[in-house]
Amino acid sequence: MINDPDTRDLLTEAREVLLDSLAPGLAGEQKYQALMIANAMGMAIREIEQRAEGEPEATDRVLSQFLAGHQLPDDPLQGEQTLARALRERSLDGDDPELRSVLRGLTEARLRINNPGFLK
Amino acid sequence: MSSLADTFSNFVARQTGARSVRVIEFDKLSGGAIQDNFGLTLELEGGDRPGRQAFVVRQDAPSGVAESLSRPEEFRVLQAAFKAGVTAPEPLWLCEDREVSGRVFYVMTRASGSASPRKLVKGGLTEDQRRHLVRRLGAELARLHTVRPPMDSLAFLEMPEANNPALSRVALYRGYLEEIAEPHPVLEWALNWLADNAPEPGPIVLCHCDFRTGNYMVDGDELTAVLDWEFTSWSDPCEDLGWLCCRSWRFGADDREVGGVGDKEDLLASYREVSGVDVDPAVVSYWEVMALVRWALIALQQARRHMSGEQRSLELALTGRMVAQMEYDLLNQIPELEEGQ
Repeated sequence: MINDPDTRDLLTEAREVLLDSLAPGLAGEQKYQALMIANAMGMAIREIEQRAEGEPEATDRVLSQFLAGHQLPDDPLQGEQTLARALRERSLDGDDPELRSVLRGLTEARLRINNPGFLK
Repeated sequence: MSSLADTFSNFVARQTGARSVRVIEFDKLSGGAIQDNFGLTLELEGGDRPGRQAFVVRQDAPSGVAESLSRPEEFRVLQAAFKAGVTAPEPLWLCEDREVSGRVFYVMTRASGSASPRKLVKGGLTEDQRRHLVRRLGAELARLHTVRPPMDSLAFLEMPEANNPALSRVALYRGYLEEIAEPHPVLEWALNWLADNAPEPGPIVLCHCDFRTGNYMVDGDELTAVLDWEFTSWSDPCEDLGWLCCRSWRFGADDREVGGVGDKEDLLASYREVSGVDVDPAVVSYWEVMALVRWALIALQQARRHMSGEQRSLELALTGRMVAQMEYDLLNQIPELEEGQ
């Protein structure tokens, strides 16, 4: 079904109206709330963009490969759960550069949505 | 509101023995989901505190959080800290009689200035003023850490398991993480690292456990009061130093390690001058890692309050999305510490 303008476009425009027209006239708690709403909308927009670029799947693939290489179940939907459990059970070496790189990949993928400005 | 003002002002009049009392100002202060804070300025005639007096009344909010101290416990902690010479509000009167206002409350003196982190970090303090303030923070912690167990008045505070505060915290945080269904491999990894790299425990002292920019008042470049004592516990002195220096509490001024205000060298130098204790900076860094894990878990718990429907809130929801920041800092800081070893 075609339903244009698309969600990303709607959210982007709505966020601009909020930031450019409404927020400047607000103060105190209301301004804080407006900025929180803009922040949440920004995350939603970036999440849509990342999905369109196939980012979540790419991150999941790296995780699945790592898990398979360590004789762990590599179901992508359960990947983080499997990784977390293996770490808790101490069945993975915390010093392993490959493990650290996988952890970094997962975290950076989230930050690209939640707060890209935080990435160095 | 006005009847509450009358309730509190009459209470103060009785405590001070004032002949008469007039409410000059009464307002609810911001901050605190766990408790309500009210500013109360009174004109007292006679009694042992005559004249214009500014107080803060702190009472339990309708929805208390089980894990923090109760108001009477907090009052006793504040008494101990005040007696040790910490610049804290002076705890004056505790009222445990629920007949008075409907809830337990206490009254303390009101400090001047502001606790706003943004105001302080982005404000126009000179380098000298910043150093002065950082040294003051070190001195405050040194004085607080002179309070040692056992103390009858603080018998409600638990001692860390096996006298090892770091490993006690790791066990506590593992428990928190297990209660959260969603997986967090970075936090699991960091907790393993904290368990494997725990330093030799220092002395057990009274720790504030939320000593950071935003929880102390500053007037100009003078610290006027250390606030928010509800998480105080017996712990390692470096837990307070590490929490204060944690990257999450620098409010955008990342190069100023001490709460976005100044340098760790100045903090530890002043701590040494007042306490006589030479703190190992590597142990403080270890506790900064602990601080990141703790803040990540608090953020996860706050997000859960939103997601479970217990308290729907955009602010709590967004706090949940901040966890990746703490995880990112952990992934950077742990290797940095390893390189420094």
